[in-house]
Amino acid sequence: MLITYPHMGTLHIVLKTLFTSLGRPVLTPPPITKRTMELGAKHSPETVCLPFKVTLGNFIEALEQGADTIVTCGGVGPCRLGYYAEVQKGILRQLGYKFDIIAIEPDIVDVLKNLAKVSHKKSLREIYYAFQFAGTKMGVLDTVKKAVTMLRPRQKTPGIADVIWYRAVKDIEDAETIPKVTAILEETLTAIEKHKRQDVQPLRIGLVGEIYVTLEDFINQDLERVLGNMGVEVHKTMYLSDYVRGHLLRKKEYLDKYEELFTVAKPYLGHYVGGHGLKSIGYTVQMSQQGFDGVIQAYPFTCMPEVIAKNILPKVSHDMNIPVLSLVYDEQSGEAGVMTRLEAFIDLLKCRKNRAMVKQAYS
Amino acid sequence: MEQQRDSSIKIEKDDEILTIRVGIPRCLLFYQYGVVWEKFLQELGAEVIISGNTTRATMDNGSDLDEVCLPVKVAFGHVNELCGQVDYLFMPRMVSVSEGQYMCPKIIGMPDMLRSNIPGLPPVIDVDVDLRQKKRNLYKAISEIGQVLGKGSLQSFYAWHKAKKVQRRQEIQNVHAGRKRVALIGHPYIIQDRQLSMDVIERLYKLDLDVVTPEMVENSQADSAAKIIGKKLFWTFSHHMAGAAFAFMQPPHAVDGVIFMTSFSCGPDALTAEIISHHAQDQSIPYMLLTVDEHTAEAGFVTRIEAFTDMLKRRWAVC
Repeated sequence: MLITYPHMGTLHIVLKTLFTSLGRPVLTPPPITKRTMELGAKHSPETVCLPFKVTLGNFIEALEQGADTIVTCGGVGPCRLGYYAEVQKGILRQLGYKFDIIAIEPDIVDVLKNLAKVSHKKSLREIYYAFQFAGTKMGVLDTVKKAVTMLRPRQKTPGIADVIWYRAVKDIEDAETIPKVTAILEETLTAIEKHKRQDVQPLRIGLVGEIYVTLEDFINQDLERVLGNMGVEVHKTMYLSDYVRGHLLRKKEYLDKYEELFTVAKPYLGHYVGGHGLKSIGYTVQMSQQGFDGVIQAYPFTCMPEVIAKNILPKVSHDMNIPVLSLVYDEQSGEAGVMTRLEAFIDLLKCRKNRAMVKQAYS
Repeated sequence: MEQQRDSSIKIEKDDEILTIRVGIPRCLLFYQYGVVWEKFLQELGAEVIISGNTTRATMDNGSDLDEVCLPVKVAFGHVNELCGQVDYLFMPRMVSVSEGQYMCPKIIGMPDMLRSNIPGLPPVIDVDVDLRQKKRNLYKAISEIGQVLGKGSLQSFYAWHKAKKVQRRQEIQNVHAGRKRVALIGHPYIIQDRQLSMDVIERLYKLDLDVVTPEMVENSQADSAAKIIGKKLFWTFSHHMAGAAFAFMQPPHAVDGVIFMTSFSCGPDALTAEIISHHAQDQSIPYMLLTVDEHTAEAGFVTRIEAFTDMLKRRWAVC
């Protein structure tokens, strides 16, 4: 049993840690490249959303290298993500690959059932430790990522944020015990504080939208970094740990947060529409109340929940007086086009901010 | 003074100005539930206005929206047509009509998309119909609709009871011996809409083919046929379509060809089509995917249908 899994941001580090601690060898698919996208798009239905194509590409590349068990996620709808596994299984079988597929449904009972399949002669204690270890890495990676995003518009030396980030990721991936991971966190956070300028007031932008596109930097063309280097503080509303704690573990604080978002989104969207469509609207309303300068919505082409949100967001933007930019990604997204739109959007926000400041000064 | 007021009310009553006009757009779920909805609203004492057939103008009207599928754009056109003619727009939020399954997200979000994009929209009756967890929620929805129209729960239930009996008009097609039989799989709001589907059913008849559609398959039959897929589809209509397609492909009376008709950027169909095409390939039944959008040109469309028909007719003739 050689386990493989799809890429999504730093997900591979978490899953690698989990399965290795459970006593199974893993094969992380090669990093996403143009070839992955082409492979995936070639064998996928034409109008399916981008994550389907890219993860299919991941699986093909991993199977080519000898993996034989795919671990991926399931779902209950109405978003298409929940049905990916079934269709991808059919496509890969038609391509002639031999493999097992384990689709983890988002409920704790199913997770435990599948766990019996993947854990290799491990005691409950060891299994618990494996989860704790992987969970710690996940939390630390997200904390570091948040701190690095805050650092980027304030860095004393250009590029230092990226150096810190890549070094931290490497160290966390290699760390073998929980105390080591927490030590890396401390170390990184101190380094970040050391390189931070305190006298900058950057623009604040909220990043809402679909989880895969916001987390996977290859797909969103390093959106966070590009914005950070333009001197913008990006507040991403979606992290892997939020998703796991909210959807899988159903922690109370996340359910409460969801209720809160539902209440503020209600005048615009009165029902859950799958995925993160409702959250995108809820966060946009909240961010305008919190004085953000703008919101960027990022999602893959034809994503059903986000398309609904996109058609409602102009109204939200108008009512709440906050600029919203929708960025749609597919396998053909050109870099220059996205850059131009981002630059124009940032210029607009700066202009708005200056005008507001001038107005304030004279009144 | 007192007398005058009394008489004015009386005049209104005589002229029947007090009837509430409720509009139902001829789009999306109208093709499944329209007849029942119409009867139900009439039983509740409303005057029902249904928008006309889809035209080119209806399609153009809805193109303000970004990235949504063609049926949703067409729905906007229909709602635009009804604006100003009606007091209420009947567009219940159909979240789920069967246990453990959903509708397409775009149908769930429809009332909100309408509200955000159409200025001067009449009040929308957007009662949640969510039978995903409890079937009884239907009665809650019925009494809520009754409340909007000023009727009590009991009256509403009675109206529903009467409306429910109205059977969907089923077009009975003659089966011609010796004709090739094609399963045309697609959402009713695509294949039953003559403008949207470019009259595909009629065109296929003219090419000497017998056409069967998913509506001809009972729910129970589709359910059992759909069991061959590993995971049940969680969209009710996609589940029915896939089940119907599998039922049509069952030997010994398998159809000679399968045409899957979808609109560009339809979410559930992208996956459903893939599953059906895998199955058709396994059974070596010819399969064609027909995608329509507002730019589809007639000539290209006709050529594809004709080529597919020719292929079916010649398939076994050679050997």
